[in-house]
Amino acid sequence: MSGLGFLARARIVAQPGYSRWLVPPSALAIHLAIGQGYALSVFNLPMTRLIGVTKSAPGDWPLTWIVWIFNIAFAVLGLSAALFGKWLERVGPRHAMFVSALCFGSGFLVSAAGIAAHWIGLVYLGYGLLGGIGLGLGYISPVSTLIRWFPDKPGMATGLAIMGFGGGAMIGSPLATTLMDHFKSSRSAGVTETFVTMGLIYLAFMMFGVITVRVPPPDWKPPGAVARKPFRLVTTADVSADEAIKTPQFWLLWAVLFLNVTAGIGVLAQASPMSQEMFPARIAASGAAGFVGLLSIFNLAGRFFWSSISDFAGRKRTYMIYFALGALLYVLVPTTGKTGSVGAFIACFAIVLSMYGGGFATIPAYLRDVFGVYQVGAIHGRLLTAWSAAALVGPTLVTYIREAQLARGVPKTEAYTITMYIMATLLVAGFFCNLAVRPVDAKHHVKVP
Amino acid sequence: MSGHSAKPNPGATDVVRLLAAWLFVGAPLAWGIYATLQKAAQLFR
Repeated sequence: MSGLGFLARARIVAQPGYSRWLVPPSALAIHLAIGQGYALSVFNLPMTRLIGVTKSAPGDWPLTWIVWIFNIAFAVLGLSAALFGKWLERVGPRHAMFVSALCFGSGFLVSAAGIAAHWIGLVYLGYGLLGGIGLGLGYISPVSTLIRWFPDKPGMATGLAIMGFGGGAMIGSPLATTLMDHFKSSRSAGVTETFVTMGLIYLAFMMFGVITVRVPPPDWKPPGAVARKPFRLVTTADVSADEAIKTPQFWLLWAVLFLNVTAGIGVLAQASPMSQEMFPARIAASGAAGFVGLLSIFNLAGRFFWSSISDFAGRKRTYMIYFALGALLYVLVPTTGKTGSVGAFIACFAIVLSMYGGGFATIPAYLRDVFGVYQVGAIHGRLLTAWSAAALVGPTLVTYIREAQLARGVPKTEAYTITMYIMATLLVAGFFCNLAVRPVDAKHHVKVP
Repeated sequence: MSGHSAKPNPGATDVVRLLAAWLFVGAPLAWGIYATLQKAAQLFR
């Protein structure tokens, strides 16, 4: 293990004078890379034409097989974040980032071999399993480090990293398109070469984070930070990851994340057809693609904006805003359809999606407030199972309700009305879950000998 | 002011290191945002 000594936590303790503002770029290097997972659909069409090249040929993979690459990767993300969180807290961020980079990069390379051999099982193993572990470990690896470096603004610091995850999809999509255009020929769509290149690029990019990450010395305090009056929920005690899941607070926050993500992710998945069906004469296919792009921008910006606001307003109040304002906007959406107000429709969803992103970005700091910093990365990892569950429920719910409405003879322009009211109801439920969060009972605190 | 002025200024080194680190992650992010904004602009055409 001496060859891997550079990964040890003791080797990355910052020297006096180190600027803490060097830590967010190292976290961003990881999140900007793994955020590519959200852009995986850019390969959907080319991967259905690996044999036929210009169109699907007999023996080509059907789309229903290809979407399982994404499903497996994101299911493994949730599982690995939950399973490896305590290991991460023990070995430190550099070691976890290193393993994440190896898994994510090699996931591309193994998948490239699977694409070249036209063996989908190898792609599931590569991007799905290996890549999924890289996604899960990478997602949680910088969280507790950032919280330790920025005890005065943990919302902003973790929001910056998690904003990177949203930004990663914005980079991954045009990068893949550019590379496929470069590598394609009359005999190949260039997918294998693109996977190899992206694997190497992401491995190198993530290594920047591995090399530059530092942890603060014990009892380090930010120089010149102005102490604010702490909010009632902010604890100075610590709760272990194993103990946290025995508290009602953990499950209330699990429900808070689940409900906020369910309400956003379902609509995000259906944004393109919904905008065209609600405004058939006003929004065409290209406009709908633009609408999805605009929502991505608000999703990204909301991650930084709302999590930074939460440092001043308090985590509980910030989630109150997400749930109350979100519910109100969802109720207003059907009215925008009836009045034909495209601008109001776009504005409603832009704000809703900013709060969807904000919900992801604010949760690590909320966990820090409630459970302390001791094993916050591991607790965050376990809470991310709410994301996996919401990713399953949200899009299914929206699609199912739409189909049921159409089957009942409801016109397409009004097929989403009930969906919007159900989303609003979910957010009202989230409001009350958040309202019920109280400080953790002292019996759960880590005992100091 | 002993005349040994060859030592690098630690403050300046820090600034260069900070700028380089933020540029390394900021440049691809800016490219991604630009590409997405171009796509989003289709909505208003």
